[in-house]
Amino acid sequence: MTLLESLLTGLDEARRHWGQTLLSLLGLILGTASIVTVLALFGGQATLTQDYLNEVGGVGTLVLENRDRSVRPRAAELASERLTYRDARILRDRARTLDAVIPGWTRELTYRAGSVGFDGEVVGTVPDYARINDIRTLGGRYLTDLDVERATRVAVLGWKFADSLFGAAPKALGAVVSLGGKAYTVVGVLEREEFRFAPWADNSLEYRNERAYIPITTAVAQHSADDALEFLTVRADPAAGVTRAESEIRSLLFATHGVEDFDIRPSGGGEGEDSGQFLLLFNFIFLVVGVVSMFTGGVVIANILLASVVERVREFGTRMALGATATGIFAQVIAEVLVVTVIGGVSGLALGTGLTGIVGYVMQIPAVVTPGVATIAIGTSLAVGVVAGIYPAIRAARLSPVEALRYG
Amino acid sequence: MLLAAAALTKTYRLGRVDVPALRGVDLTVQRGEFIAITGPSGSGKSTLMHILGCLDTPTSGSYRIDGEDVGTLRGKDLARVRNRKVGFVFQTFNLMPRLTVEENVALPLKYRGGMARPERRKRALALLERLGLSDRVGHRPDELSGGQRQRVAIARALVGEPAILMADEPTGNLDSKAGANVLDTFDELHRMGHTIILVTHDPNVAARAERIVHISDGVVV
Ligand SMILES: Nc1ncnc2c1ncn2[C@@H]1O[C@H](COP(=O)(O)OP(=O)(O)OP(=O)(O)O)[C@@H](O)[C@H]1O
Ligand SMILES: [Mg+2]
Repeated sequence: MTLLESLLTGLDEARRHWGQTLLSLLGLILGTASIVTVLALFGGQATLTQDYLNEVGGVGTLVLENRDRSVRPRAAELASERLTYRDARILRDRARTLDAVIPGWTRELTYRAGSVGFDGEVVGTVPDYARINDIRTLGGRYLTDLDVERATRVAVLGWKFADSLFGAAPKALGAVVSLGGKAYTVVGVLEREEFRFAPWADNSLEYRNERAYIPITTAVAQHSADDALEFLTVRADPAAGVTRAESEIRSLLFATHGVEDFDIRPSGGGEGEDSGQFLLLFNFIFLVVGVVSMFTGGVVIANILLASVVERVREFGTRMALGATATGIFAQVIAEVLVVTVIGGVSGLALGTGLTGIVGYVMQIPAVVTPGVATIAIGTSLAVGVVAGIYPAIRAARLSPVEALRYG
Repeated sequence: MLLAAAALTKTYRLGRVDVPALRGVDLTVQRGEFIAITGPSGSGKSTLMHILGCLDTPTSGSYRIDGEDVGTLRGKDLARVRNRKVGFVFQTFNLMPRLTVEENVALPLKYRGGMARPERRKRALALLERLGLSDRVGHRPDELSGGQRQRVAIARALVGEPAILMADEPTGNLDSKAGANVLDTFDELHRMGHTIILVTHDPNVAARAERIVHISDGVVV
């Protein structure tokens, strides 16, 4: 019997005991479908995370924050001025690995315009803040270098505050707003910012609609006794990389602080922290589910294929007694396995794509079955099938006819 | 001489214990003979038969079929001898449950290769007719009686025109009437010139053979 004939025998067998074949198929289809769905949802989630990270500065953006003081601080710790505007200037002037340095000064101040008043956040910063955070104006302009240089009394209002203070956001332009008792000219109003991880989730960027931006120099001069900062955002030069940027920051700031009293973390974890945490947890759960379903899918498929071979080892014994060679038996089993895995993989992909659509629609998350996902899913089912099929095939083929006939 | 076995031994190894199943068997078979191998249970009949049928290899000794030394053959070569020289009939019929009677019978020709499907079909049908099974060719084995199944198995063993037909307790799973029917078939095949070796522990069955080889405790007595 030729190899082709052995393969055809295998295909014929797969067709004839289609009840068993169907069972293997079902395992494969469900396994593959779950892999496809999980990967697609995971991929959608990853895209979402990427989008969010881009909104808040993109990969490579780091946030420096003061570390909590020790319970019993040492002298060096007490002597340090912590993060200051001076640190920001030092980093800007000396660091060679940074592409942007943005000092962040924040205060709760009273907003007032006409009869409307409330307390809210005011951020003192520099023009680069808009560049890094992808901030767009609805009207007017953002802060300029000249504003920082001259410490002008200008403010750029977030959409919601502009709306609350002046009845409609565009009306704020050119008006005067009092921040912490000092008069500021509104030179710009920002677009409304929105980013939701799911339709039911809070707007992760709402904090940006509820604040005003003023030049860092003005903030320090008008509302502070010193030039202490709440945070300092930097972006690593892509050529240098985040790791080198981090170590350069540490060494430059250690020189001025005399102690490492600040933490460096990637952007996107702190602002909108809840969403960030939710996202991390969500991704983690998906990852676990994905790995578990791939594993169980594989075990189920392997088991079904193995069982179907063990059941038929005696039959192989008879075939060998009639003149079948080990190679022929091997080819027959492999052919059966290939039929099952290819049909199972493709149907599983189809089912998984359907499931992805439904789950994505119900949960309102962007999930797509990319060619990559399809490749992984089909590849997994093939790999599992071949591994699970080759082992029993070798086992069956290595038996002598008598051993096979006695089997079980 | 069609078949010549000399000083065949077979030792099974069970863990650290050696179980000698054959302890030096000499046997020669002439073309056209009808031989019955008998002996008590566990005496080594099946073991001998499996070696003679090339389903197993001896631990030592020499074995020739048709002048070819098959005792030393392995793998593919042994598969060829099984396919061309030997027709084996099992106690439990061992038909392929999902193939039709005709497909079952044609199977050895398929494994032999080099024969077109219509030819394989023709030969299978011819044999089935000879064994009175023409009206069953499209059936599956589970639609047949035990005696019919065993005759299908005999047809399958004969389709490749082997040098020798071997049967290990061919009537063991049959009632007396079906058993007698199968034995009649063997008688008839013998008359037509086929060489037959049959294993049985039933003296009445053995009595139908020309020659009885009695085995006890792994040796011919
Ligand atoms: N695969 C094996 N492993 C270990 N021992 C075996 C094996 N096959 C047979 N034996 C032993 O070899 C001896 C001969 O067994 P064999 O099956 O040839 O006997 P038998 O004459 O066919 O008996 P029965 O009439 O019951 O079929 C027995 O002692 C048996 O236990
Ligand atoms: Mg026996």
